[in-house]
Amino acid sequence: MNIVRGLIGGAVGYILGAALLMTIRVATGARAWEVESVSAGAWMFALIGWLLAVGVWRYWAREWFGLELVPYTTTGWRRYLDFDTDHKVIGIQYLVKFLTMFFMAGLFAMLMRYELMDNGEALLDSGRYNAIMSLHGTMMVFVAVAATVGAFGNFVVPIMIGADDMAFPRLNALSFWLIPPVLIALTVSFVSGGYDTGWTGYAPLSVESDVGGLFFNLAFFTLGLSSIIGALNIIVTVVTMRAKGMNWMRLPIFVWSIFVTSILSLIFTQFIALAMLMVVLDRTAGMVFFDPASGGDPLLYQHIFWFYSHPAVYIMILPAFGITLEIISHFSRKPLFGYKWAVGGLLGIMGMSMFVWAHHMFTSGMAEALRKPFLASTELISIPTGMIFLSAVGTLWLGKIRLELPMLFALAVLFNFLIGGITGVFLADVPVDIQLQDTYFVVAHLHYVVLGGGIFGLFAAIYYWFPKMTGRMMNDRLGKIHFWWMMVGFNVTFLPMFIVGLQGMNRRVADYTPDLVGTNRVISMAGFFLGTSFVVFLYNFIYSWIKGAKAPANPWGARTLEWQVPSPPPHENFEVPPIILADPYGYGEPDSDHADLGIGTLPKIQETVEA
Amino acid sequence: MTVTDAPPLEHGVSRIKINRIGLWLFFLSEAMLFAGLIAIRFSLLGTEVDEAVSQSIGLVITVILLASSYTAFRAEHAAHKGDQAAMVQYLWATLILGTIFLGGVAFEWYEAFMEFPPGTAFGTVFFTMTGIHAFHVITGLIFLTVLIRNAKAGRYADDSWPVEAGVKYWHFVDIVWVFFYPVLYLI
Amino acid sequence: MSRYSSKAGRPLHDVVAFRIVSGGEQESNTRNRLVVVGVAWLIATVLGWWAVTAYDWHPFGASREARITDEAFDLLMLMAVPIATFVLVVIGYSLLRDRDRGQDVDGPPIRTNRTFVVGWLAVTTILSIVVIITPGFSGLDELRAYPEPDLVIDVKGERWSWEYTYAESGVQTRGTLMVPIDTRIMFRISSTDVIHSFWIPAFRIKMDAVPGIITTTMVTAEKLGTFESADELRVQCAELCGVGHARMWTGVSVVTEAEFDAWLEASAG
Ligand code: HEA
Ligand code: HEA
Ligand code: CUA
Ligand SMILES: [Cu+2]
Repeated sequence: MNIVRGLIGGAVGYILGAALLMTIRVATGARAWEVESVSAGAWMFALIGWLLAVGVWRYWAREWFGLELVPYTTTGWRRYLDFDTDHKVIGIQYLVKFLTMFFMAGLFAMLMRYELMDNGEALLDSGRYNAIMSLHGTMMVFVAVAATVGAFGNFVVPIMIGADDMAFPRLNALSFWLIPPVLIALTVSFVSGGYDTGWTGYAPLSVESDVGGLFFNLAFFTLGLSSIIGALNIIVTVVTMRAKGMNWMRLPIFVWSIFVTSILSLIFTQFIALAMLMVVLDRTAGMVFFDPASGGDPLLYQHIFWFYSHPAVYIMILPAFGITLEIISHFSRKPLFGYKWAVGGLLGIMGMSMFVWAHHMFTSGMAEALRKPFLASTELISIPTGMIFLSAVGTLWLGKIRLELPMLFALAVLFNFLIGGITGVFLADVPVDIQLQDTYFVVAHLHYVVLGGGIFGLFAAIYYWFPKMTGRMMNDRLGKIHFWWMMVGFNVTFLPMFIVGLQGMNRRVADYTPDLVGTNRVISMAGFFLGTSFVVFLYNFIYSWIKGAKAPANPWGARTLEWQVPSPPPHENFEVPPIILADPYGYGEPDSDHADLGIGTLPKIQETVEA
Repeated sequence: MTVTDAPPLEHGVSRIKINRIGLWLFFLSEAMLFAGLIAIRFSLLGTEVDEAVSQSIGLVITVILLASSYTAFRAEHAAHKGDQAAMVQYLWATLILGTIFLGGVAFEWYEAFMEFPPGTAFGTVFFTMTGIHAFHVITGLIFLTVLIRNAKAGRYADDSWPVEAGVKYWHFVDIVWVFFYPVLYLI
Repeated sequence: MSRYSSKAGRPLHDVVAFRIVSGGEQESNTRNRLVVVGVAWLIATVLGWWAVTAYDWHPFGASREARITDEAFDLLMLMAVPIATFVLVVIGYSLLRDRDRGQDVDGPPIRTNRTFVVGWLAVTTILSIVVIITPGFSGLDELRAYPEPDLVIDVKGERWSWEYTYAESGVQTRGTLMVPIDTRIMFRISSTDVIHSFWIPAFRIKMDAVPGIITTTMVTAEKLGTFESADELRVQCAELCGVGHARMWTGVSVVTEAEFDAWLEASAG
């Protein structure tokens, strides 16, 4: 209902915007209708129309015009379809939305792997292959950038810091409701022929691509808007809404990771908006940013794109690091080792991430003198990243490790990211990168870090917090089947990609030299195997949500605040504001206590035994 | 349950302070956009300025915009003192000056279109930078309009935050222009 | 699952349903543990080194640049093995030894360890710097250590074909790229439409063809061969440039200087 209203609002906005633009065009003597120019401008109006209709007007904007707000009365599952401001509802909205996007993009990958089973063109011709490949990459990047922050940054961060909601609940809802238009734009792009530029959309190719390319730009732009707003909200929340006693060195590491991620988003996302805007202007307004014949510069696009997109890869991985460390501490029943170093690692990655972007451009023809500095800065980023591993390894050592599901995924993040990270070091080495740039070695690297790190981290988070979010337990057996299936499938799919890359298979091609057919078969088969593992997950996810065993408040015996409130948490999270006494990692420390929840002092349920 | 911004926890930071931090972070983020534009300008054009830019218009609209910053400042001052009438007057003044500025930009655009159309490197940079800035001016004018309307209805008698926010935004847009003006016209 | 749950009726207050083991046991063990880990690391590293050197990672290489690049890669492999095995062995050891097997106890409250942290930071810092210097800077310097070229070839990328012009003789071709062996060749690369990338896998050189500028790269071929003998001897476009991207390639033939001169003469005539 709400969504229908939003769609109508969006359509009305589009029509109004289009009418306005066409009037201006006629006034300046141009042809009234030109699909790209009109659509680009009208998109902004469509966004506003959509947002107003979907809830901004009823629950928010009426106020500005001195009107009474409409009372919010939606209850039950319908809240998930409405402009709800409860951070827990929004967290689940994000999760479901991005899981859907993940599965769609995964199905595209299956098509690609089908095509790549053999050399020559089978199912897809080059044009269609490129369109599907580009959409796969784009959607997956969107998932990786926004899924964990959106879902768990919203759901658990406020509870973990002892707040009752985000600092700006309505803004929070707004940033979520900017996501459906992203999916709509991508769909429009796909049905109008797609775009064949890859997710990186390099100019001048992207300036020349069909209408689909325009909607890709608009989608990325809109996602950027949503990220910026969401990031701002999280930063303010963490800065101002922490419970009494929750000082910075007591924050759970996951909160730190989301906080740092948000700073990166807040600062750098503007550059992707700018890059997309420049392409749109070149396409629709006759501008010449990237046209060398008129004084433009094609490399400018790459610099701006990577100035965002390299920090963005850390936006993808830092939340996964946070989850991994969080889970490893709780499931090793040991304090997080070197907490300060882990925080330092996160901050170090944040600080350095803005000085390495040109490692994507070693063969781009940029000035030779830039190669060495960017080689050096890129290699140096291993040091703060290593600090995350330092903390993980130190925590596991001598722990009392419980290999529950979330722990399995967290350990998998370490394993996969180790391979992904070290191959990143190879790529940063210019002599080696000259050969490997734009080959499957890069494709393998990026899947190891983004999928093996980021997405495995997302799944760790899902298995970890599912009981808290839904009040029900996931089936443990199916979960373990899913884990091993996915882990094996993943490694068998992507390890051989390093090999084909080294052998000289370049990326973004539907066709390749015959000697690589054998390995590609293996990759495709393993890819299908990996794909089907998600059927198990989906079944488990949906079934457990409806019919799973009731979850206790604290099924894992973890100490952070969200586990001290019922599952699922009540609307206001805490009965009374909690008072934080120490950090949440006091495992094994007699008498340590994370928080006073204000519901009476309790006898400690601890006993000390001599070993 | 109604939809409102959540009250802070008892011990927490006051609502106004939360809003203020949010606003400053928003400026920080936006500043990156404008910094990016300036970087692009230097990267594409070096320090070259097209002869054809109208120095007189540039100077006049800059002065007008700075003046509007002053009236905006007075409006906020009045708001904090609770002087509603003066506040509305100064908001009006800001709105008018802002509109004149926008008119100046439009006129400059009209001229510029002949001299250096978007199809030239300088035109591309010029139209993009002034265009994005003008977009922010327009949103600022919309805020001002809403503020004036609500102020007349007496809505800010005991809550001057919206006025403060609107005025701060206006200052921000002005400061951006303080950077844009030399970069586009002088250098 | 319910093993760890806060039991019904127990107030929800920082429930710690675990016993705390007070020190003692672990400390005395640390020595033994370190020895075992050290030995395992050694074994894993040696095995790893054996594996990465036994396997031939590289496709057919036919130039001076290929040697430099492949050496850099091999060196990185040698350095990567001990790093990876260290992390994996320590984690693996913990997973085997430090499991909670139903005892429901907490681990020892170790929050940090100066020696380990400082050691880790020192080692990773040194390693990163070493990697930067060699094979990073050193390899790059070696690649760029070129006197004047003996032969200049202009390469033009165009959707979706390559055009080669031999600078001095003016010979132009869109077919196979002919290059003489043991000659310092410089490619001057440009594009007329979108960005392409001039890549010869067997030579390990790659440079984008960017409209509006001319980029350069150098190579000295060291082995004779043709596309028919090794399909790494091809010019492959390596930057997505539209529908024809995958098929934007031509063969490369490395021939003796005499053959090359003859070919040039024949083509010029
Ligand atoms: C989650 C996302 C993510 C992350 C975290 C990383 C991390 C890194 N990446 Fe990756 N990268 C991508 C996502 C990511 N990357 C993507 C998507 C692309 C392709 C984009 C495209 O073109 O489509 C790409 C491409 C890419 C390139 C360009 C390749 C090319 O196109 O030619 C390079 C080159 O330098 C690179 C390097 C690195 C490095 C050095 C790291 C480092 O941060 C890794 C550091 C980690 C470790 C080193 C391991 C752990 C550390 C230790 C155990 C300590 C000890 C180790 C040492 C001292 C070495 N990456
Ligand atoms: C989050 C990031 C992410 C993830 C998870 C994946 C997942 C996968 N990717 Fe992707 N990939 C990228 C990010 C990602 N990718 C990026 C950024 C690029 C670069 C694009 C570019 O060059 O521009 C790329 C490119 C890329 C290529 C290279 C294309 C080329 O250069 O020509 C290939 C080739 O094999 C590939 C394969 C796969 C496969 C097999 C998976 C598998 O893991 C997918 C498995 C998942 C599924 C199959 C889902 C199945 C779902 C169900 C079964 C449920 C049923 C569905 C519903 C109910 C709706 N990917
Ligand atoms: Cu030319 Cu790809
Ligand atoms: Cu990068």
